[in-house]
Amino acid sequence: MNKNPILNALGETLKKVGIDKKKVCITSDIFYKPEDIKPLGVDFYHIHRGRSIAFATGLKLGNPALKVIAFIGDLSTLGGNHFVHAGRRNMNLVTICINNYIYPFKATKKPVKTSFSTYSNFERPFNMPHLAKSCGAVFVARWTSLHTKELSSSITKALHKSGFSAIEVISPGGHYFAGIPDLKEEPDLIKFYYKNSEIKNGEETMNLEIEFGKKIIVGEFIDRERPTFIDLYNKRLSKVLGDKFEPYGGNRD
Amino acid sequence: MRANPRDVRTGILYIDGDVAAAEGALAAGCKFVGGYPITPSTEAAEAFVRRAPQVGAMFIQMEDELGSISAVMGASLSGKKSMTITSGPGFSLMMETIGFGAMLEIPFVIINIQRGGPSTGVPTKTGQADMMQARWGSQGDYEVITLSPDSPQESFDFTIKAFNLAEKYRVPVMLMSDECVGHMTEKVVVPEADKIEIEPRRLYKGPKDKYVPFKPDKDLVPPMVKAGDGYKLYLSALTHNERGYPTQNIKNSSSRRLIDKIRLNADDIIEIKEEGLEDAEVVVVSYGITSRVAFRAIEQARKLGIKVGNLRLVTVWPFPDKKITELSKKVKGFVVPEINYGQVVFEVERCVHGNANIILVPHGGASVHNPNDILTAIKTIVKDKKRYDGILEFKTELELRIFGSGDNK
Repeated sequence: MNKNPILNALGETLKKVGIDKKKVCITSDIFYKPEDIKPLGVDFYHIHRGRSIAFATGLKLGNPALKVIAFIGDLSTLGGNHFVHAGRRNMNLVTICINNYIYPFKATKKPVKTSFSTYSNFERPFNMPHLAKSCGAVFVARWTSLHTKELSSSITKALHKSGFSAIEVISPGGHYFAGIPDLKEEPDLIKFYYKNSEIKNGEETMNLEIEFGKKIIVGEFIDRERPTFIDLYNKRLSKVLGDKFEPYGGNRD
Repeated sequence: MRANPRDVRTGILYIDGDVAAAEGALAAGCKFVGGYPITPSTEAAEAFVRRAPQVGAMFIQMEDELGSISAVMGASLSGKKSMTITSGPGFSLMMETIGFGAMLEIPFVIINIQRGGPSTGVPTKTGQADMMQARWGSQGDYEVITLSPDSPQESFDFTIKAFNLAEKYRVPVMLMSDECVGHMTEKVVVPEADKIEIEPRRLYKGPKDKYVPFKPDKDLVPPMVKAGDGYKLYLSALTHNERGYPTQNIKNSSSRRLIDKIRLNADDIIEIKEEGLEDAEVVVVSYGITSRVAFRAIEQARKLGIKVGNLRLVTVWPFPDKKITELSKKVKGFVVPEINYGQVVFEVERCVHGNANIILVPHGGASVHNPNDILTAIKTIVKDKKRYDGILEFKTELELRIFGSGDNK
């Protein structure tokens, strides 16, 4: 049992998903302790900030047999462009976006202060599922970190999808939000997010804004098929080059 | 190990320096390029794109240079020899990832076709002003290797050498070419595959459970494994120990070794081309395209009876400290022409220890030196009896014409 609820969900998934763990690589620009990662039994790369998805793209193209999971923070606050383009290309990756509101959080009753916005944060947060859908993701979901079972089920689906999957996890950045009135402890925040959420599978992504005083809508929103980057690459080049071309990697595993 | 015949376009080719670099990369077994178009390096990427699908290699145009080089890191760790191709502005964007690559000891090559000027600069013209950035552009201490070609033939040869060094020392290697060499079309002899020596990846061969990711061999370089081979790797870009785990104890970390694996192996890495150094009074130290311009000046000076030695830096970093110090005890002075306002000349000064005079022949970029300027510098340094205070900066004829009379002795 991992103390980190998200890694816990991932660990549960990897036990049951039926994919060779050896072939699973996690890239992350968020730091996780070796003792939290080692029990997963996968390769783990702690990347310099913001480049997790681009690095994962290289891993996947270098060896298409790998199953690559890219952890990013708050819509890859740095390197959001990599998210957009990986979605557009439909790179075969599972992106888990840990959203702890570097961009602000509006579901609280009072305006939120973070350590970087001492006078409360007035900016609008991302609607990540909506963005992921417009970029072309084939699977989009959102959960809070206490929805362990649901999250695990979504990761399983994403790992079996061919293409770019994006799963947003609403999770507190404890240090960052230490200044929220009445929510000084991290467990309080986790519970707060959980209680203030409402499951609406298949909800139209444009309705998923996180707004002041409203519930956080969670669920699985998009599940569709699109050809991946490697599929299209092989198709096009086989057509142009014929026998001279040796198909790259294969479209799935 | 020898090159794969499928990867090598054997024959006598008439190609430019950019294309030659791409051919060199393919011959060296490069199987992944992540790139983003930028003048004047575009032809290299184009050449790679054309041949890649026919030799089982992949080219991907990433969203930007940050993405390109990050993808290169991933591809290299998955077991493919990888590189990226760029020029100044892209090179700047890549800096953080070069540090990351040095930190995780990822073998990869960057081809930097340098352009003139800072920032967007002069995209279609030459420069040599990225030399110091190549060395220390990313934060923290690390060492890299750079190679400077002066012709399409050398672009081909040195790109292969770059891959070999990258794999041997698990270090970022940069081919610091420039627009002139990149866009210069000449004869390039591509040998047969079995004549091309290729350094294979240093793969770990011991028992699986005994693998320690950053435990070095005797030459201070640790062996590698590929992603997805079941080693349960934990690699962190934080300062880490042999296991790859974060540590704040610098003594137990790989920090010192990142430096030492290059510095202590410097004799093996450094390559210089020298000529006429035995009885030289003056030595011209140059690299890249400037060597070719300097050669003309050296010939003319010799006709005038001046004994000029020619020292070409093939590897600018690591710098040949010993060689310069040794020469400084014998010669009157050094002339250092470079297409910038002084970068490598300060390294020469450091190694000369005040034993000889030094003249810098700077150039702002967008073209190459006038050989007459280098000749004048040679004549000046031979004539002058007194010891200069530091480096004497030579004002070129062009600058004199523009800015009026300078202090041109």
